[in-house]
Amino acid sequence: MSTATGGGERGASRVARGAGAVALGLLRKSWFVILIIAVWWVVSATGVVDPYKLPAPGDVLSTLGTLFTERALLEDLGATLLRLVEGWAIGVVAGVLLGLLTGGSTFLEDGIRPVIAGLQAVPTIAFLPLAILWFGFNGTAVLAITAFGTFKPMALATYGAMHQISPTLLMAGRALGAKGLFMQRTLIFPAILPSLVTGLKMGWSFAWRALMAAEIVVTGAAGLGGVLELGREIGAIDVVMAVILVILVVGIVTEQLFFTRLERWVNRRWGLVGAR
Amino acid sequence: MSESPALRVKSACKTYERSDAPALLPTSFEVARGEFVSLVGPSGCGKSTLLGMIAGLIAPDSGAVEALGRPVTGPGDGRAIVFQDAALFPWLTVSHNVEYGLRAHGVPKAERRERVREALAMVRLEDVGGKHPYELSGGMRQRASIARALVMQPEILLMDEPFSALDAQTRTILSDELQRIWLETRPAVVFVTHNLIEAAFLSDTVHLLSSGPGRIVKTYDIDLPRPRDEADPVLLDLRHDMLDRLRAEVDDAAGQRAQVAEVTAL
Repeated sequence: MSTATGGGERGASRVARGAGAVALGLLRKSWFVILIIAVWWVVSATGVVDPYKLPAPGDVLSTLGTLFTERALLEDLGATLLRLVEGWAIGVVAGVLLGLLTGGSTFLEDGIRPVIAGLQAVPTIAFLPLAILWFGFNGTAVLAITAFGTFKPMALATYGAMHQISPTLLMAGRALGAKGLFMQRTLIFPAILPSLVTGLKMGWSFAWRALMAAEIVVTGAAGLGGVLELGREIGAIDVVMAVILVILVVGIVTEQLFFTRLERWVNRRWGLVGAR
Repeated sequence: MSESPALRVKSACKTYERSDAPALLPTSFEVARGEFVSLVGPSGCGKSTLLGMIAGLIAPDSGAVEALGRPVTGPGDGRAIVFQDAALFPWLTVSHNVEYGLRAHGVPKAERRERVREALAMVRLEDVGGKHPYELSGGMRQRASIARALVMQPEILLMDEPFSALDAQTRTILSDELQRIWLETRPAVVFVTHNLIEAAFLSDTVHLLSSGPGRIVKTYDIDLPRPRDEADPVLLDLRHDMLDRLRAEVDDAAGQRAQVAEVTAL
């Protein structure tokens, strides 16, 4: 009985120590963020800067709450995320398909790749006026820009990945009788998948950038960019900063929760890490 | 009826781009059906080039290679290859790696399963079929790679330094196993190696190649009963003989280079 109690106490102290370590780890990674918020709070509290230029952190948070409850910011967030996923998916499929279908031929790749590399050097948002003229001042134009912003890096990532495939692996496949579509499906595609996943992450951040820029201009439909622009129009800096906060959190959460995990899983499954 | 040999290499030669010395001078030899032939020599002697031509992965500048009476124009067609680094597909399990060539050839599923099982049993990997290559040791990976070639029931098995990346002990065990597998299945084998004792132990015929430029300098017929033992003194004598021959070639080449240097210095 007494030994059981003793064990329980030791267990409790171990849990406490574990929690302490976790807190310490969190602190180590977030001290700078805490510092920024502290400086922000001090600066706005002392009133050195006009509150119309820099609202207090607390005000931004309460505005964020109001936005969610009264202006249905959740709906805007949903619309933006849906557009992001759609545009990204279209861009990924188109980019990877183009890379796969033309990357096998020197003739096609030599012609097409420099054009895409050239387009990649132009910020995607520069094509927004063109998209508006083609698709109208609406969500379709924004979607097209998002897809296009994803398509370019994905096509380039696919080309790059195809050049990285081990020549021995290709020879092994050919010697075993693989060719044509079978080769593309069972050898080329799985062989480039780990680099593609890294490309997916990059494509996502390109899509996110293009989408935000486009939404700020094309404000008709629901979306975070529209709220941001509305906040500017009415001079509500707390709204602007609250939405920026949401955009920041969405970016971090999707990257950390989804892409980092996906990358880790693929790398393990492909034997790139975890080899003894 | 005179059956065509497994392989016929006719004056095949190769000079790579950006290189003035030929990688391989015109070279001819034949491999009979079911014969075990080794190509041995130092690096740069053209042995891997020669194997690449036989595999159909490298085109000779001139000359020709015939396999089973048909001109070689590409890989496959009765020829299977085992590479030095195993070259397993890392995203597939061992079983699926072995199955790959059968899928590429449209073999029905039930037959695939049976042949994969047999091939894995042949290399004694029955228990690791579900594992991925990164979970295996180097020796096991090379066994899987051999199974992937054997499952195609090749009449010609090409092996490019298959054991050179393994530690000495594993290498000895695997070359013993290869002898057993070859005795059971009897494909013609072209085995590239720089290990003289390995070549002498396994082969019916050893072609000794020398570098600068690559060519066959001597051919040994090894008429010893099988199964053999790597410690057989006859093999050790053979190894000495081959080594002497290679040394003489290297000295020769060095002498020639020295002469050229003298001439150009004048």
